[in-house]
Amino acid sequence: MDAGLFAQYVMNGLMLGMMYALVAVGFTLFFGVLDIIKFSHGDVLTVGAFTALATYVGLRSAGIGASPVILLIMLVVAIFAMAALGMLIARLLVLPLRSAPALNTLLITLMFGTVLRESVRLFYPQGANPKPFPALLPSVSVNFGNFNLRLDSALMLAAGLIVIVGLQLLLNRTKLGLAIRAVAQDEETARTMGVNFTAIVLITFAIGSGLAAFAGIMNGLYYNEINFGIGLYLGVIGFAAAIIGGLGSIYGAILGGFLFAALQTIGTVALPFASAYKDVFAFAVVIIFMAWRPTGLIQEKISERV
Amino acid sequence: MIAGEQHAKGALLPGVVAVALTTAYLIALLAVEKQPLIIGLLALAIAAVLAANWLGWLAPVSRSFADREEPLAGLAIAAAFAVAVFFHDDHFVLLLVCTVLLYTVATLGLNIQFGYAGVLNFAGASFFGIGAYTSAVFNAHTAVPHLLVLLIGGLIAALIGSLLLLPVLRTRGHYAALVTIAFALLLKTFLEVNDVLGGPQGLQVKGMKIFGWSFNDNIEIGKISLSFYWSYFVVSMLLLIGAFILVRRLERSWIGLNLDALRLDETAANCFGLDVARWKITAFTLGNFLIGMAGALFGMIGGFVAPNNYTFADSLLLVSILLLGGIGNPWGLVVATVIVVVVPEKLQTIQEYRFLLYALLVIMVLLFRPEGLLPRPVRRYFPGWRP
Amino acid sequence: MTTTMTASTPLLEARGLTRKFGGVVALDRLDLAIERNEILGLIGPNGSGKTTFFNVATGIYRADAGHITFDGVETTGATSRAIYRAGVSRTFQRSRLSLPLSIFDNVMIGNHKRLNQGLWFNLVRRRAFKREFETNYHAARTLIEVFEPQLAGRMFEPVAGLPMIDRRRIEICRALISQPKLLLLDEPSAGMTHEETTALMDDILQIRTLNKNLAIVIVEHEMGVIERITDRCAVLNFGRKIAEGPYRQVAADRQVQEAYLGVA
Repeated sequence: MDAGLFAQYVMNGLMLGMMYALVAVGFTLFFGVLDIIKFSHGDVLTVGAFTALATYVGLRSAGIGASPVILLIMLVVAIFAMAALGMLIARLLVLPLRSAPALNTLLITLMFGTVLRESVRLFYPQGANPKPFPALLPSVSVNFGNFNLRLDSALMLAAGLIVIVGLQLLLNRTKLGLAIRAVAQDEETARTMGVNFTAIVLITFAIGSGLAAFAGIMNGLYYNEINFGIGLYLGVIGFAAAIIGGLGSIYGAILGGFLFAALQTIGTVALPFASAYKDVFAFAVVIIFMAWRPTGLIQEKISERV
Repeated sequence: MIAGEQHAKGALLPGVVAVALTTAYLIALLAVEKQPLIIGLLALAIAAVLAANWLGWLAPVSRSFADREEPLAGLAIAAAFAVAVFFHDDHFVLLLVCTVLLYTVATLGLNIQFGYAGVLNFAGASFFGIGAYTSAVFNAHTAVPHLLVLLIGGLIAALIGSLLLLPVLRTRGHYAALVTIAFALLLKTFLEVNDVLGGPQGLQVKGMKIFGWSFNDNIEIGKISLSFYWSYFVVSMLLLIGAFILVRRLERSWIGLNLDALRLDETAANCFGLDVARWKITAFTLGNFLIGMAGALFGMIGGFVAPNNYTFADSLLLVSILLLGGIGNPWGLVVATVIVVVVPEKLQTIQEYRFLLYALLVIMVLLFRPEGLLPRPVRRYFPGWRP
Repeated sequence: MTTTMTASTPLLEARGLTRKFGGVVALDRLDLAIERNEILGLIGPNGSGKTTFFNVATGIYRADAGHITFDGVETTGATSRAIYRAGVSRTFQRSRLSLPLSIFDNVMIGNHKRLNQGLWFNLVRRRAFKREFETNYHAARTLIEVFEPQLAGRMFEPVAGLPMIDRRRIEICRALISQPKLLLLDEPSAGMTHEETTALMDDILQIRTLNKNLAIVIVEHEMGVIERITDRCAVLNFGRKIAEGPYRQVAADRQVQEAYLGVA
């Protein structure tokens, strides 16, 4: 394989990895603070993407055309709307079920994910069909031999990196981040230290869901298309990535995201005749990995006291 | 009777009345065509159940079923036949009845996995589909007797299921969730991409033929003509009765106790000698066996199988039945299956929305009545037994 | 399985047992022997390693170093299941009963090794199964009757509605039903009143007179209990044994007093 083609694969892999990492981080955040799996996370991504699309349509019909402005507004609207949705999910569905078995929370969020997904399919105009997503980033590209470097990809990669670094800074350098980490480690102690548990949970859900919206828009910009099932698909991958990395570890989630993308890329390269099998390949490897190292690459939080 | 032991045996009458009323209601619901009438009937049912609950009439019925299960089960079987006889030449209704029966078998299988052993399976519809594809392939390309094909469908589903679960046996619950969801999504893609198995259009399934009697011909008994679905109805009933007995005996045994123990507290179960991995895989395999068999028969009844009928959303629908009916209670499953399968068929306007509606319903149940419609009672190894 | 057993071989012997959790050394080269048929009190301040010792001895945690032998057989690194089958049974500090299940079910969970677990037996041979069920019902009921006759007539009630003291009793019955050689009781009287504790200890002593072939290790904080029912005590502090002997002797030990109260 020549260098240009190789670089192309690497670039694709990085983009996918970035998206998966963003989703995986959400899963790990929710698991960290509450020990629960929030299965509606992927579908929040879908709603975020569709919210952005609806914003776009609204703005265009209102006559606003300037590309960077529209994108900015879309980002702001989608992220804040999803943050609010995330908080609602926490407040209405997850927190009330705290004393029930963890299974119930998994189930209720799974069902709510279905509600979101079906709502988009049924109520968004022609929601059952894939919808074109506008190309709002400069579509300039540079060619290095076989390697076609899209400027928008590079921009998105950079933006994703900034978001992840920003999240790390938030978690490690701010008081809020400290509170989140405290709750993730030991809820009881954090409470006795004066941390407002409910507020932290809501904020964490808001952050995670905002990330999902960002990832959803990124997805739309990259493929120029969104559909109602995209969140389910990305959610399953994000969850798998979070598990590989070790549930509860942010680094693990990021690592897992890029690892999964690498596996998919290897699958595509190794099976050129049947690239549809790249997912089967990637998941098969993940499942074998789970058998070998169930707690993930970076130790999953042990929460049970005997 | 040792002094101080529980109250007297539940009476038979409340159960009989409940079965009779339900059967009459079902016949009415199935017979009526006009949408407003159907909505009226549904409202009536909800009001009646709420009223019965408020009047305290539901508890005696519960006790009746708990202590007099055998005669009541016999009555329920007779009631099912009564419904089938009433609609003896109505293809649509009989097909619906068969669908309910086979979905119940599938959910009973899911119940073993999830309700008893606590193993999550979000690919129930996929295993159902695997059974159906097995019928399609075997009936078209081999001369294997069709009853045996049912068994093979079950075995293949069981085998694939155990391969899927083995890697995640020693991990926490959400891993099994991930694995089965991924399987559900990927299997559909796999089937659509593979023309060998018919691609997105799927495959035709030859109808059942036992000892030369072809099920797909209408039956004539003197002047009475029966819909050809009647033969399928009988086989489905037999399958359901077998599955029901299996599930009942399983629960009412040391094995049922093992499954409950490992679901509720794995660590303690380990400390008392339970081989958690062994029993989880047993439950999962047994459950998939039932699901696969039901799917194989369903394929033959419907005449065709396609990937679009066995999606992740359909698997979630099966899980919804389990949660609505009351996890772990086979009678609750029967009731919930009827609700989930029959209502959208009769109320065509909501057919399109059924995934959404049932998801919302389950959310309500999980928030306000997590034990479901018919909560699972305490284990009674031998109903009506007193020391 | 050959056992190199003499009358003086301890039933359970831990040598150099070490277990760490991250930076915390919960068991620090612990040497502890439990003799056959004795009642040993295991005491020490909070965090001294008593529950960790139980957890390592029952295979929930692996030791990082050291050895355990039970009944002459090396059990270091053995699974919880194997250790149970060898004859070790326990209760938990935080009561771990299956709340939705009945009293009978909970007790039967402890009887796993003596029940026929075959699929054919359970699903097909129902008459034989019924006989086994009835035998075990009476066994469980008799055992419960020792602790609380009031419960004996309610064997199929869910445990969830019962008061804490009854739940602890049921947990002890669950541990006893399989007729173990060694019973580990982890703070059985936690949350009980003085009268309830006394009654519970009476019941335990009664079990002992009925069953001579049983050693008991009891972790307790109420010293009155320890003094009353134990043959001797071992005192742990920071994962090490700091004193051993009859209660009176141990209570007078300077090191023990310092461990509990701090240096004067």
